[in-house]
Amino acid sequence: MLSSTGSDTGAGTRQGITFPAAREKPGADNHTFLVCRTVRSGQRFEYPGNVVVMGDVHPGGEIVASGHVIVMGTLRGVVHAGAEGDEKAVVMAFRLQPTQLRIAGYITRAPDNEAQDITGEPEIARVQDEAVVIEKYQPGGEKRWLNRTMFEEEEEQNG
Amino acid sequence: MGEVIVITSGKGGVGKTTTTANLGTGLASLGKKVVLVDTDIGLRNLDVVMGLENRIVYDLLDVVEGRCRLKQALIKDKRLENLYLLPANQTRDKTAVSRQQMVDLMAQLREEYEFVLIDCPAGIEMGFKNAIAGAEKALVVTTPEVAAVRDADRIIGLLEAAEMEAPRLIINRLRPDMVRKGDMMDIEDMLEILAIDLIGVVPEDEYIVISTNRGEPAVLDKHSRAGQAYRNIARRLTGEEVPFLNWDAGNGIMARLRRLIGLG
Repeated sequence: MLSSTGSDTGAGTRQGITFPAAREKPGADNHTFLVCRTVRSGQRFEYPGNVVVMGDVHPGGEIVASGHVIVMGTLRGVVHAGAEGDEKAVVMAFRLQPTQLRIAGYITRAPDNEAQDITGEPEIARVQDEAVVIEKYQPGGEKRWLNRTMFEEEEEQNG
Repeated sequence: MGEVIVITSGKGGVGKTTTTANLGTGLASLGKKVVLVDTDIGLRNLDVVMGLENRIVYDLLDVVEGRCRLKQALIKDKRLENLYLLPANQTRDKTAVSRQQMVDLMAQLREEYEFVLIDCPAGIEMGFKNAIAGAEKALVVTTPEVAAVRDADRIIGLLEAAEMEAPRLIINRLRPDMVRKGDMMDIEDMLEILAIDLIGVVPEDEYIVISTNRGEPAVLDKHSRAGQAYRNIARRLTGEEVPFLNWDAGNGIMARLRRLIGLG
């Protein structure tokens, strides 16, 4: 199930162009991809599962995942979690300052003419009551969202 | 039917993107319906200079490859009602579009907009050829440097070979104090070498650095000298006769006084 392009460092990108893994069926699988590098402007990373970036995502860089996205660094680029419609997907970053943040069908950006309040704390973004909310990351609190995705629940229901 | 104008230079870093952003904003503030098209695929900047980067969802490639409708990709400016931006894609390169696709796209845009301004990439390769393919007019930007003027000359030759209407020249980053001392090429020197019509001269202005970093075109600032120059060029583009600012006269207190009493 894992992509052959993502073998060595888990970079998964070649000259900024990504090659998603082969899929047996639509929907998010529960695989997680580890990106061990800085995602720079013009680099786009797309994966049908969760993505963890060990590094920063620069402005102009893009992460698209059908599951959750976690950035162990500063997120300044564009991120799309739950790209195939999973509204339970979350985006987490040590420094969450995205150009644009998308979860499933929701798109948000920082307001204009407002100095970004940089908390310096890890934050988590998720969809709540049809809006993207961003809050301080509370260790332990993630269990409520990270463990399961919409697609898994559907699978369970369908037997 | 709107006008499709490409803003080009050959050399990089002479101010194509800044000029595109300021002329587009200037034309829109004159009430014209304007769309800016960034054709620098893979190295897009116009969105950043316009302060619209965080609004991009679809781009030029999504439009030409049919992943979205043209209207979905157009980003409305945050300051002016009648100004739109079609951003470039950042993850691919210049070979991703063809000349025919650009011609079709520009034909579609000119139906609805009075001015279509195309921000051309540096160089003379595919990106340049694509950018000029759908344009009927060209503005060549140069700075008062030998290398920039040389490249502008090459570009003018290529534009003529492409049977474009006679391009017009914008001289950017001129420093009147250095010209007076003879340390910088003056306007006449450049016009003699390039032999095309001048449409405007933009003086070097620190405010340009501030405004591009902030994502607010200088043309909107009443006190910026470069902004004033861009406002004049925008008016000339609409066909208005606007006298050239007098760069030879000093801007010191004495010079201004002399001008005031009619001696300058």
